[in-house]
This record gives sequence, C-alpha cells and structure tokens, in this order.
Amino acid sequence: MSGERLFRILGLVDEDLIEEAGTDSSPTAIQRRSTPWGRYLAAAACLTLMCGLGLAWLVTGGFHGMGAAAPGESSGAGGGIAHDNEPLYTDGSTVFMSYAGPVLPMTTEESDPGLTAERTTSWDFAPGTYRDGSPRQWSAVVTDRYMLANPTETDTTVTALYPFTGSFSELAEAAPTVTVDGVKTEAVLYAGAYAGGFRGVYEEDGLDDSTWNLHPPASWTDYQALLEDGSYLSQALRENPALDIPVTVYEFTDFEAPTEEYEAATQAISFTIDKSRTTILTYGFNGASWDEDTGWRQYDYFVPDGVRGESEVKVLIVLGDDLQDYTLQGYANGACEENGKIDGVSCTIIRREATLEEALGNLCRAYADQYMDHLPMEMANIFDSVSMELFQDAVAELLTQYGVLSGEGLVDRYSDGRLDDLISEALTQERVLYLRFPVTVPAGGSITVSASLWKAPSFDFGCSESDNVDLQGYDLVTHLGSTLTFTIQRASLVNTGGIELVRQNVGFDLKNGKAEVELSPDEAHYYLEVRPLEATP
Amino acid sequence: MEDSQIVELYWARSEQAITETSDKYGGYLRNISWNILRSHGDAEECVNDTYLRTWNAIPPARPSALRVWLGRIARNLSLDRWKQSRAQKRGGDEAALLLGELDACIPAPHGTEKALEDQEIAALISLFLRDLSPETRKIFLRRYWYGEDLTTIAACLGCSQGKVKSSLFRTRKALRAYLEKEEVLL
Repeated sequence: MSGERLFRILGLVDEDLIEEAGTDSSPTAIQRRSTPWGRYLAAAACLTLMCGLGLAWLVTGGFHGMGAAAPGESSGAGGGIAHDNEPLYTDGSTVFMSYAGPVLPMTTEESDPGLTAERTTSWDFAPGTYRDGSPRQWSAVVTDRYMLANPTETDTTVTALYPFTGSFSELAEAAPTVTVDGVKTEAVLYAGAYAGGFRGVYEEDGLDDSTWNLHPPASWTDYQALLEDGSYLSQALRENPALDIPVTVYEFTDFEAPTEEYEAATQAISFTIDKSRTTILTYGFNGASWDEDTGWRQYDYFVPDGVRGESEVKVLIVLGDDLQDYTLQGYANGACEENGKIDGVSCTIIRREATLEEALGNLCRAYADQYMDHLPMEMANIFDSVSMELFQDAVAELLTQYGVLSGEGLVDRYSDGRLDDLISEALTQERVLYLRFPVTVPAGGSITVSASLWKAPSFDFGCSESDNVDLQGYDLVTHLGSTLTFTIQRASLVNTGGIELVRQNVGFDLKNGKAEVELSPDEAHYYLEVRPLEATP
Repeated sequence: MEDSQIVELYWARSEQAITETSDKYGGYLRNISWNILRSHGDAEECVNDTYLRTWNAIPPARPSALRVWLGRIARNLSLDRWKQSRAQKRGGDEAALLLGELDACIPAPHGTEKALEDQEIAALISLFLRDLSPETRKIFLRRYWYGEDLTTIAACLGCSQGKVKSSLFRTRKALRAYLEKEEVLL
C-alpha cells in the first residue's frame, strides 16, 4: 500500500521541519500558552530540540560566552516568551539564537605588507524563490572589495588571505569566489580549528560545569577573542605534525548473527585494561560500559544485517599497552544483559599494528565513502569542497585539543573515545576558513581584489516566539586580524526593495536614498539587522 | 527536565526515565496517536508501547531530538495498531482518509524508477519541503506527520479550512510531480 509507505517515510523527514511544523502561530494558539510557566515549558521543549543553546538563553537572558559583550537593557514590548529578556548587546545589536559570524577583513601572511587598502563592502538583498515560485527573502550576497595600492617604487608580491566563517558542510554554498582585477583566481583553502567551546546546560546558573554540549561562537566578540592575537591564523596555516603514535588496530569483519530472530542482535567485546597505560578509541560501536575501579570495559555494536544503513566499519584502536585478552559475547539487544545472552553471534577480528595517523586516515576515508554512498541527489557533496587531508587534520585537531589525547583539555563530550563523534562533528563545527592566494601590486600602482560570498544571516528560531523571529542579522568587522593599512572603508546596500532596516549602526537611511556610507576607522564592528517586508507584522 | 538528562536516565537504566518522558511528552504522544486511531484506549496503549520501545532502544541509541524521535515511534506504532483494528472494525477511519490522500502523491510507474531506501526518499522529501513557503510546509506536515484534521490545522495557523484544503491539494500534486521527476519508486 503506497500511501502507507509514504506515510512512514514522511516520519523520517528532517527533525527541524517537524519541529517547525509543530509550533502554533495563530493568536489563539499563543494565548492558550500564555501563563508564564506554560510558556516557559513549551518554549523550552521546543528550543532545546532546535538547539542545545536555546534553554540556556531563555534561563539567563542571553549568551555570555567567550568574551561576548554583556547584553544591555531590553528595548522591547512584552508578550512572548523571549520578550521579557529580548536581549541586546551594549552596542544595540541583537543577541541572536543562531549566530552566523561576521564578514572579516582580508589580511596577508606578511606581517607588514606595505600596502594600503580602500575597502567597500556591499550586501545585495535580491530575493530568491521557493520551489513553488513564491519569493524568498533570506540571506545576502556580500561583495567585499579591496583596492590595494603600492606606494613604493618596486613591485610588491604578498600572500593574501581571505577569511570567512562557517563549517565544512556549508562550503559548497558559502565559499567565497575571489577575483583579482576581475579575473577569478585559484585559491587554496585552509581551515582554522573549531571556533567555539563546550558547556553544560545550566552553566550560567553555576549549576553545571560539565562540557557535554557544543557552545559555538555567539557574537562578533567571540571571533575577536579568537583572532586578535594572530595565533589562530598561525595554527590554521601550519602543517600539522603527523600522529605517528604506534597503535594496535582491531578490525571487526565477517559479521554473523540470527538477525531474523533477533532484530537488534548485538556483539560485545569485553576486556580489562590499566587505564594509566592504555587508551581505547572506537569507531562504529553503538554502546559502551566500564568499571573505573577494575578497568573492565565492554564495547558493543548492533550486528550489521545489510538492511540498516549503518556503517559496517567497526574498529577498536588501542594506544599504549595492548589488550592481554578479550571475550566476545552475543546478546539479543543492546542492553547486553545477563539474561539476554544468545548464541550464533560471531565475527572475525583482524589485529594489526599501525600509526594513529594511518588508522585515522582509514576511518576518515571510510566515513567519506559511506557519506557519499548515502548522499541524496541534489545535495552538494562536502568532499567536493574539502580535501581528505583537510578533513583528517580537523579530526586530529579535535582529538588532540579536546579528545582523549588532549590531556587537561579533555571535554566530557569526547571523553568516551568515540571517533564517530569527532569525525562527524569536524564537518559541521563552526570555524574560520581562509582562502590563500598570491597577489602582486605594481610599483606606484594598484589592483582590485574582490571576494563574493553568499552569507546566511543570524536569526532566532521560528518556534521561540521571540520578537526577533523574522529578523536577519549581518555583522561586519573593520580591521580585526588584518595586516592591511586601510585608508577608507565604505559599506553599501543593493536591491533593498524586499527588506526594511530594523537595527543598525552603519548609518544607512533608505527612505532618503542613503544606501552607501563611509565607515569610521575607529569602529571595530558594524551590524545590520533587516526584516523581510513579506514578514512584517 | 532537559531532554539530554532524560536520555541519560535511559542510559543509566533508571525507570525514572519513563516517568520523565511521560510527564514531558505524554500529551504530545497521545495527540499523535489519537489523530491516527481516534480511539482513546488504543492511543493509550500505543503511547505505553512507545515508552517500552524507547526503553529497549536507549541505549545504545542516543537521540539528538528526543521529541521527534518519540513522535516517530508513536506514529509507526499507531499505524500498525490502526491496521490491526481496521481488520477488527474498531475505532475511526481517520487513518484511511490520511493514507488515501497520500495515495495522490504516488508517482505513476514508468519502469525507470530507482528503488531507494526510505531514509533516502525522506531526504529527498525534506529538500522538497524546504523549498515550499513556511506556511505551506507547516500545513502539509501538520496533516501528514502529526495527523491533524483540517479544522485543527486551520485553528492553529489562523487561516480558513478552505485555505488548508487547497494548500494540501496543491502540495500533494507538487510532491507527486517532484517524485516523478526524481524517478522515485514507491
């Protein structure tokens, strides 16, 4: 029955769409939840599902992470959940629930390139369309143009770096195109480390000092803290040292189990280690148990049945002293309980010695292969934009900065040694990426370098009932991390027919035709917040 | 209680996990089940079965969006229960109506279609839905994910039933064309 199959398939559509559809938007619906406690519960349930940061925002009245300016007084009228707080930073910009990162200025690898620059940044708000043809006012195309002048009497060649914020997974649509005097230039992509931190849900109240949750950058000042001393860029450009640590790799293959009788048939491996001498990393395992006192460990996975789409790559990596002995046991399901033991579950284990570099490389390639095997048509392939080397470096960086090889830096999120988490999150974590390309400016002359990029806005989640749900925020920083000497900076707006300006510190006045503004060299940060006219209440 | 804390309770094999799930999501799950079954008794049993399935699945599962995850289980169990009760001529036939409407989205076979896994088809449908206007998308998912009737959807979204009905008609037609273009076999 086809309708029935489609009904079940619809159950699997993306979670954020289901969440969005589950929010009420009529006046009567909002009124039903108008008591403060009821509103709190409804929004908390909704927000925590949309983003782990949401509840903390509700409870505390705003993010304060990593150097963010303290939110100022509310300017808003009351009414909805977030209205009581409606947080603004002290410069008047909105504390958005999802922060998109600022447009950053071009810089050079040379600390003193001897060039002056005139910069003009424009936002083009020409609307796109939904599939059904109706207009869609979302995001902007940013053109960031630099006229570089060489006041000396000799030609100057420098290595230019164009920084932009985002993740590997967004590169296909968000990577800038760079031109020099109108000709597209080939640039090499470099990636900085994860730009955020980690936190507990109730950290702001002092109730939770855990580090289970990601805490991505929440304001331009987070990027300021990251970039201003130059160490982040240096780390991004340096060649990462190879992880030539010797490891023992146990690969699990030739899976067998009575899966017709036991849908969730599980294979577990158990052993005892001295945790001061042995560290375990896993890939493809679904569960783990351990006893801190005795060093007993058990790792388990659902036996691949050829039906579920999960990876058949199951690997244990042992760092330090090798396993002395291990036991394999089959179970009816993932609970791995004594009374759930079953016969007929088996596998072949291949033991080999390698370096961690080789082992990680194999797993990154296996992940990429599986990703591409399951890539829906019409979806961009991340690995068309990100080289395997860059991907593996990002995974190794997470492992050595925050994972079990980080020493004091270990965070709760990665404390169990599951490489699956590190590998998948390396693709989606926010970072600063750099396009690196050479430019030569003739003696006494100038050239124009232009970067054009699609820029998603900062926003509040649709289900939050915040006053800012329809607001789209864009940030620009003027000289953060740049070696260029700016003689003038300008900002302009293009195709503004579908938007209204709600908050800004740039000085645009669209009603009076002022769509281009000269920026102050003393102002480090400019913000622009717009609302699509179709969404105006 | 935070969803992540509830999941941790399941991982710790604490029965408190079920109490917390019921307190937080019991009403939501009963609504989904009721929308499909139109029988309070059957809906209640499906919700209880949802808790049992969840208990058996976590660990090793660690759902990132617990609410949607629970809803999916309740939805599937309710459909199974509906098929069973239809054979026994119990309960309402709201589900028959729903599935009949979805039949209109099924592409006509041409012999060149690809046999895709459910998850792959769902990913394609997600892309289709993302290109709809937010209101159209909400109407469609409220009807075919949450199983709500037209009156409820219209009241929740503050529009007329006629608008809901015509929006659903257009979206079903567009989805069928999209699936045909993608050569999806259903």
